[in-house]
Amino acid sequence: MSKKSGEQIPGRTDYKWIGKSIPRHEDARLLTGRGTFVDDLNIPNVHHAAILRSPHAHARISKIDLSRALNLKGVIGSITGADVLERTRPFSVVATSPMQYYCMATDKVRFVGEPVAAIVARDRYLAEDALDLIDVEYETLPAIVDPEKAVESAAPILHEEVPNNIACHRVLSYGDVDAAFDQADFVLRERLVFPRYTSMPLETFAIISSYDHFGGGLTLWSNFMGPFIMHPITARALNIAENKLRFIVPPDIGGSFGIKTSIYPYLTLLGLLSMQVDVPVKWIEDRREHLLASSVQTDRVSYREVAVTKNGMVLGFRTKLYDNVGAYLRTPEPATTFRPIGNVVGPYRVKNLQIDANVVVTNKCPTGPNRAYGCAHLYFEQERLMDKVAEKLKLDPAEVRLRNFIQPDEFPYTTPTGGIYDSGDYPKAFQLALKTFDYEAMRKQQKTARTDGRLFGIGIATGVDPSVSNMGYLTVALDAEVRQHPDYLPKSGAAETATIKIDPLGQVTVGLSSTPQGQGHETIVAQIVAEELELSPDDVTVIDEFDTAKSIWSISSGTYSSRFASVGTSAVANAAKTLRGKIFRIAAHLLKVNVEDVVFEDRRFYGRETPTQSIKLSHVAGTAHWNPNDLPEGMEVGLNVTETFSFPLAHAPDQKDRVNSSNTYGFMADLMAVEIDPDTGKVKILKYASVHDAGTIIHPKILEGQIYGGAMHGIAGALFEQQIYDDEGQCLTATLVDYECPFATEAPKIDIAHIESPSPFTTLGSKGAGESSSETAPACVANAVADALSPLGVNVTELPLTPNRCWELLQSARGQTT
Amino acid sequence: MKLQAEHVFQVSRDVLWQVLHDQTRMADWIPGCDKLEEIGPDRFAATMKIGVGAIKGTYKGTVQVTEKQEPSQYTLAVEGNAAPGFVRGKALMKLQVEDGNATRLVIDADVQVGGLIASVGQRFVSGIAKQLTRELLANIEQSLKPETTA
Amino acid sequence: MKPVSFDYFAPTTVNEAVALLEEHGEDAKILAGGQSLVPMMNFRLVRPTCLVDINQIKDLAYIHEKDDRLHIGAITRHRDLETSTLVQQCNGLLLEGVQLIGHTAIRTRGTVGGSIIHADPTAELPAILAALDGEVRLIGPNGQRTISWRDLFVTFFTTVIEPVEICDEVIIPRLPSDAGWAFEEFTRRHGDFAVAGVAAVIVTDNNDRCTDARLAITGTAPTPIRATQAELFLVGKSLTQTTLDEAGRLVSTEVEPESDVHATADYRKHLAGALTTRALQRAVARCHSRKDQQEK
Repeated sequence: MSKKSGEQIPGRTDYKWIGKSIPRHEDARLLTGRGTFVDDLNIPNVHHAAILRSPHAHARISKIDLSRALNLKGVIGSITGADVLERTRPFSVVATSPMQYYCMATDKVRFVGEPVAAIVARDRYLAEDALDLIDVEYETLPAIVDPEKAVESAAPILHEEVPNNIACHRVLSYGDVDAAFDQADFVLRERLVFPRYTSMPLETFAIISSYDHFGGGLTLWSNFMGPFIMHPITARALNIAENKLRFIVPPDIGGSFGIKTSIYPYLTLLGLLSMQVDVPVKWIEDRREHLLASSVQTDRVSYREVAVTKNGMVLGFRTKLYDNVGAYLRTPEPATTFRPIGNVVGPYRVKNLQIDANVVVTNKCPTGPNRAYGCAHLYFEQERLMDKVAEKLKLDPAEVRLRNFIQPDEFPYTTPTGGIYDSGDYPKAFQLALKTFDYEAMRKQQKTARTDGRLFGIGIATGVDPSVSNMGYLTVALDAEVRQHPDYLPKSGAAETATIKIDPLGQVTVGLSSTPQGQGHETIVAQIVAEELELSPDDVTVIDEFDTAKSIWSISSGTYSSRFASVGTSAVANAAKTLRGKIFRIAAHLLKVNVEDVVFEDRRFYGRETPTQSIKLSHVAGTAHWNPNDLPEGMEVGLNVTETFSFPLAHAPDQKDRVNSSNTYGFMADLMAVEIDPDTGKVKILKYASVHDAGTIIHPKILEGQIYGGAMHGIAGALFEQQIYDDEGQCLTATLVDYECPFATEAPKIDIAHIESPSPFTTLGSKGAGESSSETAPACVANAVADALSPLGVNVTELPLTPNRCWELLQSARGQTT
Repeated sequence: MKLQAEHVFQVSRDVLWQVLHDQTRMADWIPGCDKLEEIGPDRFAATMKIGVGAIKGTYKGTVQVTEKQEPSQYTLAVEGNAAPGFVRGKALMKLQVEDGNATRLVIDADVQVGGLIASVGQRFVSGIAKQLTRELLANIEQSLKPETTA
Repeated sequence: MKPVSFDYFAPTTVNEAVALLEEHGEDAKILAGGQSLVPMMNFRLVRPTCLVDINQIKDLAYIHEKDDRLHIGAITRHRDLETSTLVQQCNGLLLEGVQLIGHTAIRTRGTVGGSIIHADPTAELPAILAALDGEVRLIGPNGQRTISWRDLFVTFFTTVIEPVEICDEVIIPRLPSDAGWAFEEFTRRHGDFAVAGVAAVIVTDNNDRCTDARLAITGTAPTPIRATQAELFLVGKSLTQTTLDEAGRLVSTEVEPESDVHATADYRKHLAGALTTRALQRAVARCHSRKDQQEK
């Protein structure tokens, strides 16, 4: 039975398991190398694929000759762009100016690393030897990598059907922006640049593909993470019926952070390749391929104007932005631009805004979801400007935030863009952050440091943390008129399903299909089910494997946008509650008492008045299986409960472009103190405090791990990592020497604290926190460095703040040109 | 990337120009050049062994001489492909008269390195580029020996 | 990526190894620690047709001192240098430099000979060799030759070693007993290749004037270099902060580094100077404390 919204477990603050940091069930196998990842799957007679990739950023392919490669002993098959053009359809995409995107270059290559041909051979070594024997002739074309320059009339054009390289353009207006700017006492403007970086999961893309030439069924084992909207998209691209396309995901995925949503072009490529041969084909992406041609977030140039009163109240803002999606706009992009639409005002009571969004194509790797998915870009802009407001009005930046926060009595709060913030207490969380950081003392420390001439800065960043994407939000990338057309099928929703069963001997198993990538689903599910069924988490076995042929799923299934903690736990909690009801009814029936009088203790049931007459759980379960005739009237055989939890407020966008883009909204406040070494420009983080409100906390250590990971990721983007291209479109950061992912040695200590504002929309009141400070840490670092440099009159508008860049900023302040 | 280098050769400008445009001697001074074959006016097919340390590749490509303004400057365009990637360079070669019957050769080049070596060998790229320039000048010096001793 | 196929040999004596190199010529490579070679092979940037694995030549792993010089066998691991009491006692500069090489895991495999012959322009050991006027011994079919560091390093990743030769020993002179020293390096992350590095050695007389100064810089040129201008400037001077700052400034004007993805040329120039000053500060402090200890 499908429940639309869960009844909360009333007044339960006396949890036995929920809220405890029990040892994770996954850890034993993961830490001893006994996990089951794609590479561990034992598929007989598997052969190996290697992909030839373009060395040019922009070129016409004039000739491909595979004859020498195919003559190599051990090579059994190949495909080129001609095969792809003939046998597949371009991938569906949501855009105002769509272009054709295939899993391989057909007539032109448009980014370095784009697949040009693929080979299947006995082993990967041989397949790569074969790649060396492929002769390709290119006619190089000029390349363009800067998103602002790409829209100028003289820029090289990537796609004929997109004449100005603008794949999508929307101007979204809410409230009365002109009036807000008229009324303002001050208008502040900045040009900001947010860099391109990725998530660097330890496990790269991994696919095994097997085609059944007789039945026409294609099976793809991979570490795809969802959303499963990519399943119909892939089926359509491959021209096969959806029920002939089987996606299987093993229990373990080595991290993803959004990146493995974009594996679907490779699923298509491998699928097509395996249709050419009669053996299974395996491809494990190597790190160079991953850094060149998997998925990254957009780089963005934005111009933001903020209208503010002399008291520091933000009346409205305008943003004109250029999001660089790389060589092809591909699903689920342009979500970097539109995913945060519901929470685009962040935690502030801004009512008037306008976004002029330009989604631009250039000769870089195509983009996709990357932890924070648009929110890091957004909060960087927003929080830099909040600090600028403080600077202009000579107010404490903390005070500026407090004056603009949405107040706790306003929840659920509907934002001007259609977001429905379920719960929160921003002032309380922020005050806790100030306290955890010891803000007053740190400002005093800053004063002393400054008199010594030291470059000491304090940064603040706050943000609303959206989780559980509403599948409809992306359609706001289409004009409203398009969405009103009768043939148009609107998109909406966010759902998850859980199955709990008790077997004939009384043991509990939970079946999930959530494609976790290390988030600890098995553990928290065991906690939730143990709580409801009054067992121990060790009594609960959780199997989490995805198989489109066997799992219950829909297009929103998967683990992305931090959804499991909200929608997944709700499905599980509801199913557990239903199952509990069932076993209590059976016990009541067998004990011949009223169900309200049944007590369950130490795995035994008894009537309150007759405690000595007890029956074991295994007896109750056994009855359901071995002796169903003794079950209460109308009850089904066995003990299986499957429940789907679906969010009721996840509608499609309305005619005014308003959409509740996510379903639950948390909050975080980050504070950081930094010092800059004047000789090397290196930024040292002296102190970092981070407060989160993710609703009901299910497993504190897991939550802390997510926050730490998110914060480190944000720090990585702010100080270290960047996917760098030269002006000719050559990617310069395709190894871990050049793509500078920070190590544990670079990680600062983080003081983490929480408040809990339970969500009224989820069964346990929990919200997602998987992205958390990855959204605010970049802004926090930027604000801290700007504060450190402010005595020198230097502005910070661009990341990463590498030692080299900081040193150059210092030089510019000292009046020395480099 | 931009590459700039210069060197004073102890020969007159005319002599330097002649040597640089002598097709029978080009293979001597183009770095790592094994074979040079004329395929058109001022256009040659070339095989060049370029690299530094253990990172060497045999690049097959073309050398083209254009925009000749005898005897003061011309443009040399080189393009080559190999397994480690491709190299494309366009160099403005200026010949300036110096005192004492000498000539200063000023090279102002734009070099592009792409493919595998650019994505995984960034540490080697600037080394290779600098090495190419040094080799070029040293080779020219070497091939001028008959003229300088004269 | 996967490497191209190759033949593999594991000789147990130096003569066997040299014979193999002679037989297979330019397309053979020595496998020592493999920390630089193997990644390049996996990227197919380097495609040897045969690997001569010298890790089985037990005679090539040793550290001993003779006539005030450390003789280090070519396949001695960096980690062995790091943990050697002999090194700790007689060459603090070498110890400090070795500890900066990559991460501990890399140091358990990487070798002294391998690192020096690989001649990475940002490596630490070549700079130490330069600071202490070290030498390297090469063995080939025509016998041995001992080369000073100045003659050894040609350019990026290139030494004078012939394809048929093996480096079998590295020779590093002892630090003078009254010297102060320091190795100062700047990296973006712990264990990264240095953006720039400075190995400094200072000796002062009883009046606290500098009698000897060595400054070897890594990361700013195709090979390690000695900053001779700054060294000459320091000799005879009283080592005040102003003097040390000036030495740093001289180094930054002397070096001519390249720009790359990690740092611009100007920043590297500046860094070389700043690191020189820092290295000198620590070297001078060590010099003083050594003197104090000797007086006790």
